[in-house]
Amino acid sequence: MADDPLIPAADDSPLALEDLLAASGLAHEEVSELIQFGVFQLTGSGSSWCFHARTLMLARRAARLRDDFGLNVPGMALALTYLERIEALEARLRELECQLPR
Amino acid sequence: MKFKDYYAALELERDADGDAIKKAYRRLARRTHPDVAKEPGAEERFKEISEAYQTLSDPEKRQAYDDLGRHRSGEEFSPPPDWESRFWREGNRQAGQPAGQEVDLADLFEQMGFGGSGGAGGFSGGGFGPQAGGFQVRGQDLEVTAELTLEQAAKGSEVAFTLSVPSRRADGGMAREPRSGTIRVPRGVADGERLRVPGRGGPGHGGGPAGDLFLEIRLKPHPRFRPVGHDLYLELPIAPWEAALGAEIDLPTLTGTARVTVRPGMRNGQKLRLAGKGLPRRKEGAGDLYGVIQIVMPEQIGDRERELYRELAEASAFNPRPSFEGAAIHG
Repeated sequence: MADDPLIPAADDSPLALEDLLAASGLAHEEVSELIQFGVFQLTGSGSSWCFHARTLMLARRAARLRDDFGLNVPGMALALTYLERIEALEARLRELECQLPR
Repeated sequence: MKFKDYYAALELERDADGDAIKKAYRRLARRTHPDVAKEPGAEERFKEISEAYQTLSDPEKRQAYDDLGRHRSGEEFSPPPDWESRFWREGNRQAGQPAGQEVDLADLFEQMGFGGSGGAGGFSGGGFGPQAGGFQVRGQDLEVTAELTLEQAAKGSEVAFTLSVPSRRADGGMAREPRSGTIRVPRGVADGERLRVPGRGGPGHGGGPAGDLFLEIRLKPHPRFRPVGHDLYLELPIAPWEAALGAEIDLPTLTGTARVTVRPGMRNGQKLRLAGKGLPRRKEGAGDLYGVIQIVMPEQIGDRERELYRELAEASAFNPRPSFEGAAIHG
């Protein structure tokens, strides 16, 4: 087990569509719509869809929100966008807190 | 098996109707969902709520649950003698509790939907729920949190974990299996980062693939350094005269010390940057180390120091409050 590959979930290594679908539980149609909303971004210029590895965390979160709250795709897109903004703000807040005397 | 009070988990009376159950779930889920709530314990609470809803929202499962009778939460109990034959279809019956294996109430109810009318309405339990029996079912994804010190994150580290994984026995029943292992976390991880280990989650069913293992990295608080991504922040206290005259200071780093030059005229909050002295990145390079200047006053000063401050006060023409000047004129 110690030598299993560890894939950083937040980096830009490539992730195939089939892998994204299997590991997230999202349907093809949902992924397609989330791309249209701009929440998921495609990479590469090949004929088949390819994503950054970090998209998987977003996709898993989207599937959780769908399952636990019954969200539809626009709801998922909105929630993901807000959560992303909150996380960026929290990171900024932490950074500023580090510059204040304790 | 241990009893779980699903009504208490949803803060409901036993006679609550389906609508009340749904409302209670929605209200509690919004407050405790791990993607929304960050309070400690929220995630555990959400699991309770979710498990309770999964059973109580399905009329058949709720009836089966109610027929287990009332027990205290956590109390050991056995279902009534004819309970299984009334609620389980032939072929996917829970064949009693084998010696030494703990059966979890949640797994029992989860299994009730297999091969039958389908799972609870509206949501899945993370891997098992919506894909009914007989088909290929992908194994459950597992989530593990690894707490590392900054030093461990910088060097890479082995992390041991133990989990309780639901798995299907040969006779079709569900059981919890302890699963432990070690993961080697490479150097270069940052706080909050997630790593994925494909195929190391729960086993698949019916020839389906295994799930994945997700590892979330949390960095333990360090007495000196505060991490922001791969950068480290360090409070750098200096005396007033060091701020005025400048100084050479040995700054602690993760691996030793580094000499920095504080220029004359330093102000509070100014940052000294030591490039490449932060946390190492995965492939190459490292974040930066920032020393944040904090001018500190001694709590007590001696007679000689007081004398020198008086001399300084007389000699200096410095006005620290030029912005107050206008107020005096108009006031």
